[in-house]
Amino acid sequence: MRYQNATAYRFLAPYLLIFSIFWLWPIIDSFLISFQATRTVPWRFAPTFNWGRLIGDPAFFNALKNTLLILVIQVPVMISLAIVMAVLLNSPLLKARGLFRFAFFAPVVVGEVAYSAVFRLMFNLDYGIINKLLNSIGLPSVDWFTNVTPAMAVIMMAVTWRWAGYNAIILLAGLQSIPEDVYEAATLDRVSKVKQFFYITLPLLKPIIVFCAVLSIIGTMQLFTEPFLITERGGPGGGTETLGLLLYRQGFRSLNFGYASAIAYTMAGLAIAISLVQIWLTREPK
Amino acid sequence: MAAVTLKNVIKRFGVFEIVHGANIDIDDGEFVVFVGPSGCGKSTLLRMIAGLEDISDGEIAIGGKVVNDIEAADRGIAMVFQSYALYPHMTVEQNLSFGLRMTGNPKADTERRVKRASEILRIAELMKRRPRQLSGGQRQRVAIGRAIVREPQVFLFDEPLSNLDAELRVQMRVEISRLHKELGVTMVYVTHDQTEAMTLADRIVVLNAGNIEQIGAPLDLYDDPANRFVAGFVGSPKMNFLAAKIVGADNGAAVVELVNHRGARLRKPLSDALPAIGGDVVLGVRPEHFFDAGQGDCDLTLKADVAEHLGSVSYVYANSGTGGGREELIIEREASRHRANGDDLVVSIKADRSLLFDATGARIR
Repeated sequence: MRYQNATAYRFLAPYLLIFSIFWLWPIIDSFLISFQATRTVPWRFAPTFNWGRLIGDPAFFNALKNTLLILVIQVPVMISLAIVMAVLLNSPLLKARGLFRFAFFAPVVVGEVAYSAVFRLMFNLDYGIINKLLNSIGLPSVDWFTNVTPAMAVIMMAVTWRWAGYNAIILLAGLQSIPEDVYEAATLDRVSKVKQFFYITLPLLKPIIVFCAVLSIIGTMQLFTEPFLITERGGPGGGTETLGLLLYRQGFRSLNFGYASAIAYTMAGLAIAISLVQIWLTREPK
Repeated sequence: MAAVTLKNVIKRFGVFEIVHGANIDIDDGEFVVFVGPSGCGKSTLLRMIAGLEDISDGEIAIGGKVVNDIEAADRGIAMVFQSYALYPHMTVEQNLSFGLRMTGNPKADTERRVKRASEILRIAELMKRRPRQLSGGQRQRVAIGRAIVREPQVFLFDEPLSNLDAELRVQMRVEISRLHKELGVTMVYVTHDQTEAMTLADRIVVLNAGNIEQIGAPLDLYDDPANRFVAGFVGSPKMNFLAAKIVGADNGAAVVELVNHRGARLRKPLSDALPAIGGDVVLGVRPEHFFDAGQGDCDLTLKADVAEHLGSVSYVYANSGTGGGREELIIEREASRHRANGDDLVVSIKADRSLLFDATGARIR
């Protein structure tokens, strides 16, 4: 038995080695770095230097507020949209199901830079298609990137476009695991389709919805690409700066790795905390 | 309570016709079992009665009213599914009351119906549990309970016992029988298990490849099957079919030669017109209709392959040896505990305990 385990570990060794060097060590090291003052060489141990700054840093709270705002608005909208998409994909009336499934999933495989560039073009003030559409129905153009609220809206729309289909595919798998005869039983019980959705589909889909929500929360807490590329590094004036962007700015622009590490740990801690609360709130009754 | 009538009911899926014109009259309060091998269309037929499948052609009436265009929920039926189809996230009580609650049935009446169902099925102590906390048999009871609370005119069962182990199946079979007596409601039951059909049914409908082969009381089907399919399907172990030839006619009887048994001959009196001499036929003999040597009309010498001793009876799996083609037979013997492999075995068959079928499988009486 012990010999068999040893063999197994020898097979695992290459992976464990790489995992230790490139994953485990950075995770531990960044935790240690967060307790060091890294603005001067040599770095010195100063536990309150970064964590103390964090508590009083308006830039941090701005980024936190922006991140949470996106989280609170975008995640529920996206999950709701994903559920609707999944139900439509699952409909027996749908033709060309495979094509739609691919189309919904495609945004995930599009390069981030390419999709960000397309979104910038679409929302361009003068020749973007969005403003053209608004004008065509008699609405004025919106200056999407120079005001905070519309810029935030663009970020949320972009993230939703990119990830709603992905979540819909996961939810579709959940929908397909609900046996058809449960719906038939409900039909015989004279329960309408709408009530079937709210009293059968949603409760049975709940574990998958929670899974998608937790994935989305973790993803949104780390949001970086969209504010970096679409609203040009969290513009206007830090109005769309997220925690991920602040981390990048501190770590790789100012080379202040201690503070960046503290921000990173805060992001991870928040993501775990929010996810746990989410799981606890939606737990199955005993 | 209601009678169910199927008139020339046809079901097509695309170009494939699954049910080819079924005509069945089910009396009020009758227990009718649809039986047949998988893919014979029995479940489709049941689902058409339920309203879960459209009817391609023909007419279904429940309680004298044609229900072709009536929604499933309005047909006055309740259905028990093979997989139970319980709502996994609801307690037993919620499972039973769900339909009534959703349709705004008065609360007091809902409670009364749930209580009655739980008493009939003796599941009162399970009411707060969820389906995953129940055994297979308990789940099946809840599924039946959910049908009872609807107070339907007709109960439909779609292979309700096939997910249970053998012992529980026997127990639930008795339970369903008791339920039928207690409620006195029309029940239509689908199964592929001929034992369930034989034990439960007032009348059995035998289906094969979308056709009704025969409708009749269990023992009528057993004693007097209309064709080879029914003869082979009803009864366990299966009826033996011996290849034979008509070699002569004798005063209203056909002389049948068993081609795989060294020319053994049987004189089989028939009431139908005698079949042509030289024609291929099949002689059906049930395992329990083999007698000791010399006791019947024709002796067969066999070699025993395997004997299964069940205590009260033994089944001897024997073959016809090398005379002509080799033919496998199953023979029930009460006193054959000593039989073993390779032993010679002489048995006798009787003309009035055997059935004759023509080459197409139709019965020659």
